[in-house]
Amino acid sequence: MKRLYYRIDKCLGCRSCEIACAVAHAGEETLFCAIKQKVLPRKKVYFFEGKNFPLSCLHCKEHPCVDACMAGALVYDKEKGLVIHNEERCVGCWICVMVCPYGAIRPDINRKIPVRCDKCKNKDEPACVKACPTTAILWQEEDFLLEVKK
Amino acid sequence: MKQFVIAGNSAAGISAVEAIRTKDKESKIIVISDEDYPSYCRCLISYYLAGEVGEDKLLYRPENFYKDYNIELILNKKVLRVDPKKNRVILEDKTQLNFDYLLIATGASPKFPDIAGIKKRGVFGFRTIKDVKDIEKILPYTKTACVLGGGLIGLKVAYALHRRNIETKIIIKSRQVLSQILDFEAARFVQKKLEENGIEIIFGQDAVEIIGDGDTKAIKLESGKIIGCSLVIVGKGIIPNIDLVKETNIKFNEGIISNEYMQTNIPNIYTAGDVCESFDITLGTYAINALWPVAIEQGKVAGLNMAGESFKYEGSLGMNSLEFFGLAVVSLGMYRIKENDTSFEELKICDEKRNIYKKLILKNNLLVGGILIGDIRNSGLYLRLIKEKVDVSAIKEKLLAENFSYPVIKDLLKKEKEKIYV
Ligand SMILES: Cc1cc2nc3c(=O)[nH]c(=O)nc-3n(C[C@H](O)[C@H](O)[C@H](O)COP(=O)(O)OP(=O)(O)OC[C@H]3O[C@@H](n4cnc5c(N)ncnc54)[C@H](O)[C@@H]3O)c2cc1C
Ligand code: SF4
Ligand code: SF4
Repeated sequence: MKRLYYRIDKCLGCRSCEIACAVAHAGEETLFCAIKQKVLPRKKVYFFEGKNFPLSCLHCKEHPCVDACMAGALVYDKEKGLVIHNEERCVGCWICVMVCPYGAIRPDINRKIPVRCDKCKNKDEPACVKACPTTAILWQEEDFLLEVKK
Repeated sequence: MKQFVIAGNSAAGISAVEAIRTKDKESKIIVISDEDYPSYCRCLISYYLAGEVGEDKLLYRPENFYKDYNIELILNKKVLRVDPKKNRVILEDKTQLNFDYLLIATGASPKFPDIAGIKKRGVFGFRTIKDVKDIEKILPYTKTACVLGGGLIGLKVAYALHRRNIETKIIIKSRQVLSQILDFEAARFVQKKLEENGIEIIFGQDAVEIIGDGDTKAIKLESGKIIGCSLVIVGKGIIPNIDLVKETNIKFNEGIISNEYMQTNIPNIYTAGDVCESFDITLGTYAINALWPVAIEQGKVAGLNMAGESFKYEGSLGMNSLEFFGLAVVSLGMYRIKENDTSFEELKICDEKRNIYKKLILKNNLLVGGILIGDIRNSGLYLRLIKEKVDVSAIKEKLLAENFSYPVIKDLLKKEKEKIYV
């Protein structure tokens, strides 16, 4: 089960990942379409104390958003390590936004729908990983962190 | 093999069942509900009435859920009484069920004011699918509806009726909407939104009588004013469904009292959800927080402990998220402080032009509550700071800044649940 990790020292804050994310989730997967449809990136790079921190849904093993969703619109797929959002069932009540302990869900107020990372579902690698010019975004198996510590 | 009996088939009950099954796949589980439906999303019934959500989407769990989880489901039957001495419950048809562990998750019912005519046809509470279906029957003949109460349920119903092209008036005793979750200033934003969209609100008045011969024809207000309407919906709070324990030694106040394991004073009887009082971490006292996410959390804790764990509940707190005509609202924990109480500190942004209002309340450098209107981004971070009792003195001026985000609080948190930065 692969997850996204970030090397803070490498992130320039260029936001290529944000743009790639918006494009990947636009109808025709073009920048033009992403702008026209006002697609919100599911990832955001935050600047704090001189450093850049990319952030998107962590697909937590303990997932308060899934537990709290009052419409049964969020489901955790254990095998894929993925929190799946069923937009058809979602009523835009914002409970998930209120309980996410990372602030990783962006409320798209216009579309009345919470926007969160889907790890680019069917692709081999999320678009943000491909787009990052400095390889600051890592797409790694979970035990990777243990190796980093060694 | 044990026998678990779960009274209540909604948020708390289902969450408990799922938790029990993570630990115990074998034991028998019996779930009882006095409603006629498998578990459904209670909070969505206003969307259902509005016509925004179809009946098929109300189901909370897939159809085969009870089979997959090996649960015996008893619908349409009330639990009349708990008999703690003999470890059994008695149902309305006199059936008796024995239990090793019992969960009381019977939720709550609408509170009806004691006024003349309240039993007339056309007066409804708003709690169940059945309520919606009954309301639905008289909608074709309804031009005007009055909603009594300006809380969460009242406003949601008013919104739904408005969507169905019913002329809707909300009658509120206090001088603001949502007085249980918003301060006066914040409530003005919501009020404005509702009024702009054609919902009339009458403040400072209570209904004193429902007028009509059998069918509702009008309501009379304290002022003597009479408003013609054929539909009245009561949203004046709830009462926990505790009748089943009233003649037992199970301790209750307004709700059934639970300890930090969601256990009642009888060790093998647990309680969770709207029916129970639990420790409120922002109020520092026992309280009923009748909320969906709270019921889920409590059900989970109860379930784990019934299955043999000893899992402590961190306590509940008020947490509401709402949306009206594009205006998003979040209210967490303490939302208002008493005038002249200097032990609290308030941080605030009020921007009427952009329709944004944000207020945070701190005590001894700990966040204890807040209100966010118009811009609810990162509200989960505030909830986390409240729950984890994080000292925010170092980031006080950043809390309401534009770039407030997870990195700002990251190093202050005691437990890092998931690590993503290397
Ligand atoms: C219209 C509406 C909108 C809401 N919106 C929100 C919202 O936006 N956010 C939020 O946080 N919360 C909201 N809530 C509140 C939320 O629905 C409740 O907090 C939640 O449903 C509580 O779950 P529960 O399992 O404790 O009880 P309930 O959902 O009340 O379920 C109780 C269960 O017990 C059964 N029962 C009761 N008595 C007996 C008996 N004697 N014998 C057998 N069975 C019995 C009932 O049939 C039912 O199955 C809303 C509620 C309503 C009605
Ligand atoms: S939305 Fe938030 S709580 Fe839910 S899985 Fe993602 S990071 Fe975790
Ligand atoms: S906004 Fe949608 S996904 Fe989030 S809690 Fe509400 S219904 Fe569930």
